[in-house]
Amino acid sequence: MHFIVAALLALATTPNVTGTWNMGLDAGHVIPTPLVLTQDGNALTGTIALPTQDFNKRVEVKLTGEIVDGAFKLSGNVENAKEPTTIAIEGKILEDGTLEGHLDLVPGHSNLKWTAERLKERKQQ
Amino acid sequence: MIPLSRRAVLRGLGAAVALPALDAMVPLRAQAPRKKIRLVCVEMVHGAAGSAPIGIKKNLWAPAATGGDFDLSPTSLRTLEPFRDQLTIVSNCDCDPAEPFTANEIGGDHARSSAVFLTQAHPKQTLGGDVRAGTSLDQIYAQRIDGETPVASMQLCIEPVDQSGGCGFGYSCAYTDAISWASPTRPLPMIRNPRIVFDELFGVNGKSPEDRSILDWVLGTSRRLMNTLGAADRAKLADYMDNVREVERRIQTVEKFNRSGEPRDLPAAPSGVPDSFSEHVKLMFDLQALAFASDVTRVFAFKLGRDNSNRVYPESGFNGAFHPTSHHSGKESKIVDFAKINTYHVSLIPYLLNALQQLRDEDGSTVLDNTLLLYGSAMGDSNQHNHKRVPFFIAGRAGGALRGGVHVRAPNQTPLADAMLSVLHALGCEDLDRFGDSEKPMDLRG
Repeated sequence: MHFIVAALLALATTPNVTGTWNMGLDAGHVIPTPLVLTQDGNALTGTIALPTQDFNKRVEVKLTGEIVDGAFKLSGNVENAKEPTTIAIEGKILEDGTLEGHLDLVPGHSNLKWTAERLKERKQQ
Repeated sequence: MIPLSRRAVLRGLGAAVALPALDAMVPLRAQAPRKKIRLVCVEMVHGAAGSAPIGIKKNLWAPAATGGDFDLSPTSLRTLEPFRDQLTIVSNCDCDPAEPFTANEIGGDHARSSAVFLTQAHPKQTLGGDVRAGTSLDQIYAQRIDGETPVASMQLCIEPVDQSGGCGFGYSCAYTDAISWASPTRPLPMIRNPRIVFDELFGVNGKSPEDRSILDWVLGTSRRLMNTLGAADRAKLADYMDNVREVERRIQTVEKFNRSGEPRDLPAAPSGVPDSFSEHVKLMFDLQALAFASDVTRVFAFKLGRDNSNRVYPESGFNGAFHPTSHHSGKESKIVDFAKINTYHVSLIPYLLNALQQLRDEDGSTVLDNTLLLYGSAMGDSNQHNHKRVPFFIAGRAGGALRGGVHVRAPNQTPLADAMLSVLHALGCEDLDRFGDSEKPMDLRG
């Protein structure tokens, strides 16, 4: 009985990261980047639309990963890249409901800090 | 004394110079005692250093104290100190309609912010002709007083805003280049060339008199009018004509240099545009003051910058380019550099306030007393590209609707539209109960 109550309490208090996040990638200045996540239990899926040198174009990368105790890891492959490129994201949920972490792009070994705020839910325009 | 129509003009070959308020017009004034409230809406892009966390702590935009006992010295508003009694600082407001609403809109902050500033409406993401934002504050007021002045409103700018097509992230350049919207679907083009402003204000038809003074064209009627006026009016009219001639002379000087073949800092700019930012802004302000003096129009929207501009402002004491400087990485030294640019931009405002303080309306009050100038940006911390704690202030008392001499710090997450709604009320649009995403009017009297 105690076990069931504890499990239910844990479920109720673990924040769910499902949603659209405005991720600020700190690359000298902050580049707003869309991060869309879906959480199913501990499993995460989603997409990130990475900036390119042409500010009109972004590269969407599919992500999969896992979240445990508010900390998560995501990874994906950049399709159609000149050479095989992977992306790895680590992050955690902060007390105020925002996210922070860092992002690695390999090759290139870019290690960028980031923060993210969830987009507000809006009524249909 | 022969009574003059308030709309009396000096006409000459292809030109019509509106007159300033003269005593000879008093009998007509008695029939229309309502105050003429002028509106100037100044937009600057890229937010402010004082919207970044360190900038807030250092009071780089808003002063620490609220109410009337505020200290402007650490802020970018410090050059407004001589006008503190006319100043209403509104801080800690957010401009939520400029935020992204969907994943696709993330990153388009620079492209859509200017469309939001005076509309407080969220722009529709489109590259086509189906643009949509909201009717802007200046146009709501201009439409209220439609017909009271020869020109309903004017839209002026400093940077080139003539791009067509897309300005990034799926947004039409109409959103980046226009701050005035006559309706939610009709952005108004902005005028960069002081010569065109001058010609529109003084009704010059056909070819502009680049080598002659416009006053030569109206000299005959001017002399005839002078003979019918009292001594005070003659002096007032002569003074006004001198000011018109002086502004015209400065435009001619700029045009002459720019056509001389000498190298220009802004080679692509029209010949009437000075290379110097401050000279350009001051010319535009002088034209606004002349327009107010002669009541040609009471509404100006003035776009001082353009998003992503790399302009350098050596007069600010810092030689970094505007857009990269606004991306300060949250580092204190860079934030302080950005604040120098903000300070420089604001330092140009007293030039107009001074001019308006010298002008008198028929009832003896200064035109500044009867003006509401608002200044701000739809962006807050430009390093984050957010729209929180946006810079905003008002100068002038709007005919007594505003008290001035006050700093109002709004509770967290207050829409800037609340302040804008109160601005509309101060302009006499008391029947409006909403503007943009406003929730309730804000007490701007402190």
